[in-house]
Amino acid sequence: MIILNGVSKIFNQGQQNQFVSLQDISITIPPRQVTVLKGPSGSGKTTLLSIIGGMSRPTSGRVTMNGREVTSLPERFLSALRRETFGFIFQQFNLINGISILENIMLPAYPNGERHTLLKARALELLAMFGLEARAATRVELLSGGEVQRVAIARALINNPEVIIADEPTAHLDSKLSVELMAIMERLKADGKTIIMASHDPLVYDAGVVDNIVEIRDGRISCSNRPQ
Amino acid sequence: MANIEKQRAIIDFTLSSLMRRKGKNAALLVVYTLVVTALASVMFFTKSIKTEAAAVLADAPELVVQRLVAGRHEMIPLSYVEKISSIRGIRAVRGRLWGYYYDPVFGSNYTLLVPRELTFGDGEAAVGSGVARSGLAEVGNIMPFRTYQGELFTLTVAQVLPSSTELVSADLVLLSSGDFRALFGVPENMATDLVAEVANPSEIPTITAKIVKLLPDTRPIARDEILRTYEAIFSWRSGILLAILSGALLAFFIFAWDKATGLSAEERREIGILKAIGWDVADVLMMKLWEGAALSLTAFVTGVLLAYLHVFAGGASLIVPVLKGWSVLYPSFRLTPSIDFMQLGILFFLTVIPYTVATIVPSWRAAIAAPDSVMRG
Repeated sequence: MIILNGVSKIFNQGQQNQFVSLQDISITIPPRQVTVLKGPSGSGKTTLLSIIGGMSRPTSGRVTMNGREVTSLPERFLSALRRETFGFIFQQFNLINGISILENIMLPAYPNGERHTLLKARALELLAMFGLEARAATRVELLSGGEVQRVAIARALINNPEVIIADEPTAHLDSKLSVELMAIMERLKADGKTIIMASHDPLVYDAGVVDNIVEIRDGRISCSNRPQ
Repeated sequence: MANIEKQRAIIDFTLSSLMRRKGKNAALLVVYTLVVTALASVMFFTKSIKTEAAAVLADAPELVVQRLVAGRHEMIPLSYVEKISSIRGIRAVRGRLWGYYYDPVFGSNYTLLVPRELTFGDGEAAVGSGVARSGLAEVGNIMPFRTYQGELFTLTVAQVLPSSTELVSADLVLLSSGDFRALFGVPENMATDLVAEVANPSEIPTITAKIVKLLPDTRPIARDEILRTYEAIFSWRSGILLAILSGALLAFFIFAWDKATGLSAEERREIGILKAIGWDVADVLMMKLWEGAALSLTAFVTGVLLAYLHVFAGGASLIVPVLKGWSVLYPSFRLTPSIDFMQLGILFFLTVIPYTVATIVPSWRAAIAAPDSVMRG
């Protein structure tokens, strides 16, 4: 269970270009469910996701994760939290060019110090799950859009995280791939993962798999509900 | 165990990262290696030549007295032995016979010397390894010479000299006093120079002053003076060469600094991604440390090995015209490897450490930034 209590985020505080991105956000994200942060561009969805995922700290307010306050954790622990608890799927997918799919997938697990053979076996298993085992040695820049998306998801799953965070996951996908992605999310939900997505794509927030929708506008929650 | 696996994984990623920017890194590696090779060559050569000089002079007499006529070295009368012996503080004085002989058949210069204690008889000779290499001098062979009157004169090789350094004995031919005088026409009452043993080395300056006063046509030369001259000559020469090389060194540092400190947008983005997916600042720095170390260590080790081969196997052909100068040294000899590990250490600290640090600092700056920038593409 992730609880946000009075979270605000102000960029360039005290300067002329001060910008309030989030104001007094308080939400509860239940475990093993799919929650969508819905809102137009610039509403603060990505900022909220990065605060939930421990990538940035709120200017004020608190985030607790399974009862543990995480906003004041030192950087080293935040890194470990990102690595062990969250799996990230970025809007641009953010794979590292020039190295193989397999290496890209294993990257988040390198700091764990796990045995290489075990890690590789797990990465290959994930590749098989997404039908990419034959392309393990291929460099990522040679992949199609759909393949890049699946590699990004496989990378997010390598450390078997409790929570998957996806920022506009369908922004660069056509409708067919978007539907495919939502099917994968459904499978992950069935596996017991908590999924948090930011999107303004109806294919995402209208999908049957979604349990909760949090609507954000101008950095504030405008509506929080369960879809009909 | 986990830490070893972690380092291994990070090194794996570092190496594949280096391979991704093959052209840029290869260019850097080549320039880096050449700079280390040049510097290490000068260091190796200078150190070895000083060691050679010290070895040559280790057994040299403390004081040599030469006779000068019109500023040129002349044969010295043996009657001077008695006069010098009378100076207080002199333990022993003896005449020495030595000279050079050019062999037109092999185009070689030999140094002919009458040793203090002869282990073979008249008509025989002991030869150095350089002479032995010329092919003539195996034990039992006959070496032909021409006397000062143009007559044939032969010596039988009785022994090939072992030597700790080539410079000492490469071109040496030892022969008896009688043979030497017969070959060069040196009268019985003359010697090439005199050597003196001094009871107390700290008295050498006083003794040399007394010798010059007693025998104004002589020039005493102290061993320490020769050693100091060698040291000064080679230190000065290596200094000149290093000054010339410093231009190249500076260009390298600018190049390396630019490469190491300026993170490209792509590298910055990658560090952001690594942070976002759970790498700690320390992990990112470790990766960059391995990257800098892999590159600079490879360049350092390769550069030092190339310098070793260049100086000790290749005769230091690229720097020898500047460093050696044939007016000071024998025409040809091979250097015995002698390495000053202290200097090598300094070279290591002046190349590997600054490069590695220069790589880390900008990465640290990029790594401490919040990773949420990658969320915004």
